[in-house]
Amino acid sequence: MSFARTACATIAALLFLAACEHSGTEGETPTVYRHAIDGMPASLDPAHAANIYSATLVVNLYDTLFRYRYLSRPYELTPNLARGMPDVSEDGHVWTIHLRDNARFADDPAFPGGRGRAVTAGDVVYSLGRHFNPSTRSQGAWLWRGKIAGLEDWMEAGADPDQPIAGLRAVDDRTLVIELTEPYPQLAHTLAMALAAVVPREAVEHYGREFGVRPVGSGPFQLEQLDESRAVLERNPHFDRGPLDLTAEGYDPQRHDQLGLQALDGKNYPFIDRLEIHFITEPTARWSSFIAGEVDNVMVPPEQSGRVLASTHPVSFQPDIERDYHTLAEPEAGFVLYGFNMANEAIGHHPDEEIDRANRALRCAMRQAFDWQERNDTFYQGLGQVFPGVIPPFLDAFDPTLDDRSTAHAPRQARRLLDAHDWSPETLPRLTYGLESSVHQRQMFEQFRARMAAAGIPNEQLRRRAFANFGDFSRAIAGGELDLFLIGWTMAWPDALYALQLFYGPNAAPGANSFNYSNPEFDRLFEHAARLDDSDERTALYRRLNEMVIDDCVHIGSLSRTRLHLWPRHVLMLPDREMLGGYFLRFVGIEAAP
Amino acid sequence: MRLRIELLRFILRKLTAALPLLFGVTLVSFTLTVHFGPDPVHALSGKNPTTADLAALRRELGQDQPFWIRYAGYLRRLATLDLGHTETTGEKVRDLVARTVPVSALLLGPGFVLGTGLALLLAMFAAWHRGSRLDRLITGASVAGMSLSFVIIIIALQAVFGVWLGWFPVRGWEVTGPASYLAHVTIPTLAFVLASIGYNTRFFRAMLVNAMNAGHVRTARAYGAGPVCIMFRHVLRGCLLPIVTRVVYSVPALVISGSLLIESHFSIPGIGRVTYHAMLSGDQPVIMAVVGLSAVVFAVTATVADLLCRLADPRIRLA
Repeated sequence: MSFARTACATIAALLFLAACEHSGTEGETPTVYRHAIDGMPASLDPAHAANIYSATLVVNLYDTLFRYRYLSRPYELTPNLARGMPDVSEDGHVWTIHLRDNARFADDPAFPGGRGRAVTAGDVVYSLGRHFNPSTRSQGAWLWRGKIAGLEDWMEAGADPDQPIAGLRAVDDRTLVIELTEPYPQLAHTLAMALAAVVPREAVEHYGREFGVRPVGSGPFQLEQLDESRAVLERNPHFDRGPLDLTAEGYDPQRHDQLGLQALDGKNYPFIDRLEIHFITEPTARWSSFIAGEVDNVMVPPEQSGRVLASTHPVSFQPDIERDYHTLAEPEAGFVLYGFNMANEAIGHHPDEEIDRANRALRCAMRQAFDWQERNDTFYQGLGQVFPGVIPPFLDAFDPTLDDRSTAHAPRQARRLLDAHDWSPETLPRLTYGLESSVHQRQMFEQFRARMAAAGIPNEQLRRRAFANFGDFSRAIAGGELDLFLIGWTMAWPDALYALQLFYGPNAAPGANSFNYSNPEFDRLFEHAARLDDSDERTALYRRLNEMVIDDCVHIGSLSRTRLHLWPRHVLMLPDREMLGGYFLRFVGIEAAP
Repeated sequence: MRLRIELLRFILRKLTAALPLLFGVTLVSFTLTVHFGPDPVHALSGKNPTTADLAALRRELGQDQPFWIRYAGYLRRLATLDLGHTETTGEKVRDLVARTVPVSALLLGPGFVLGTGLALLLAMFAAWHRGSRLDRLITGASVAGMSLSFVIIIIALQAVFGVWLGWFPVRGWEVTGPASYLAHVTIPTLAFVLASIGYNTRFFRAMLVNAMNAGHVRTARAYGAGPVCIMFRHVLRGCLLPIVTRVVYSVPALVISGSLLIESHFSIPGIGRVTYHAMLSGDQPVIMAVVGLSAVVFAVTATVADLLCRLADPRIRLA
């Protein structure tokens, strides 16, 4: 009897508490958009925002001088914190950027009286300069190293933010002047990256190491809550960029008519009161959560693509999916490729010309032996786009007429090439294939090895070496411990130079040139192209560099994956998961749910 | 009074004896982490570092310091509970642990209690009806439960209760009060219970069956004692030591490690998920804090287990 009483009392107490939990929520319901991403941000300090997950949050919490137009494809830069595009001197050495006068940091205890203040050109100087202070542990200093005059000297003198930097000056609160050591047209792109977001010095000093979890910016949202499950962002009341101009953002009726974006045109953004970003690493949980209506978007997990697609060539969605959701199939702004360690004389560069030629033949044979279409069908549902070289199809410089024999599966030719250079099982080098430890990666290795075996390279010649995490894998590549590895490269700005830097000699490991490719002619042309503005000459140079990489058989590739996105019909947006695209979240609108 | 003094002395003695254990565990784990653990430098250095960048980062992380200085610093931080900052987000590790351990405890506590309680009840039924159909059914179901993959259980429960029936959230931890707590904890609890009940039932049944063969149980039966009385007063007491030991010793893993699978699949901000990500990224302050605290909790647990055993069986001396 007493047990029954206790149980009744407990249930009654729980019901009462539940009722209390739901009371007090009456009044105007905030507009909430719940965005799911497939990883967790490491830090919200812009100086550490070198991956997609951090960048997605950072560009919404902070301002960058420039951003990409919401709907334009190919991507186009547009002013953000800047009032207009930069004035660049004739010789390309001096950039003058004028800032808008209505940008303000969000209110925060870091400021006197807790009131956010106006963003000034001095903040931009401070934000870029702190990348060169070792205690910042910047992941973006390489973007401006050797480019901005006086930065290195300033760093060597102690990186004191109170001391001036010769080539980075705030002329007044609204005018920034950047002096470059050489023309650097990519600078505008770097200033649109999350790494270049503008931070207030007060907040950096107030929060110290914890600045990474206590962001204070001037972006459209401010952080309300952050844990390992989600980030809750509230609208920043000080954010004022005027109304959305769809035409200026690249609206194209043919491509965007079905998205309902017209309803947002001419209204002030952001259109939502709260932005929740959910970190759902497990694909099944992400899909189930979307189907249950707990989040408002999903990047379709590969195992569900058969459920949502009616056909893959061309991509079309099932009628019930088209009826219930907005759909988008878009190539990623990046690619995957296999690379050889060219510093290993057994397969890469060799001082002896004859051996060097034989090594090149071996690499080319391995490239011909590999079957990209099989890889695409097995692991990417046949949705990926295989292309020669390293300039992916989403870029202007992509050459659709480029000879695609470098991606064709030709095992017989591979055998012939090996024979022609006297490669046999006895003379072939033993190669170490590196991978991050996972079933998926192991399967890819087995597929690779099977293709090589079919072309006459015995299984014993390929040794697998697995690493528990990306850091250790990177360290092994940088240390030259691996002869062959599969990597992904995500573009941080829409310019082929960002991909071609993978082969630039001075970027050799531990830098981006993980392949340790060394070709003085390539480096000379690369340096020349890097100084050119967007032009036919530059595009031609990019294509020439691409062909050099293909001719030297430095890599096996490449493939751009296709992302499938779904979102409910009452959510008005064009999602973009890529490194460049976290900006779209400020333009998301919500209609009354059905 | 004498017992209290005896208990107090016992606790002090056990905790003092735990100091070498703590020293050994921390030394071994620190050595392993420093020399064989993940290297955070490459993960923290961006896309295009130079050798000088990596060297500067190593200095910033204190990796250029001699091993013993680093180890002494670690022990000092552990003793003062000033665990430093995470290398990835910069958050204070102490705050991180204080924020995530309660979530893991709230998440896994109900499943732990229910799973243990239900398993004990099922084991009692099975043991009492040893050899019967009920026993075979319970034993068979336990084996089936043990054979099921934890991931499959989680995915199936999410699909049925979250997507199909829509009774509970599929994932997340938006707990603002008892109702939202119940909503978020129910599926993980069910998953935990289903995954653990098989192992526990088989173990408890074996202990109970063994105890039922004891002479004093036969005597109680001969006196005509009822099943409940026999089971709780004579059988359960007789095999309380292994059961208490097993239950109590699973607490440290529950509190510190959490359940990686549950927290990952349900996107729950608990200590298990944090630890896993720290291991992937090589976030040594977090890894070392979790290892150090695990050792402390384990030492405390061992003491509590001994005390409970003493209470369960007065013949045990607190020597």
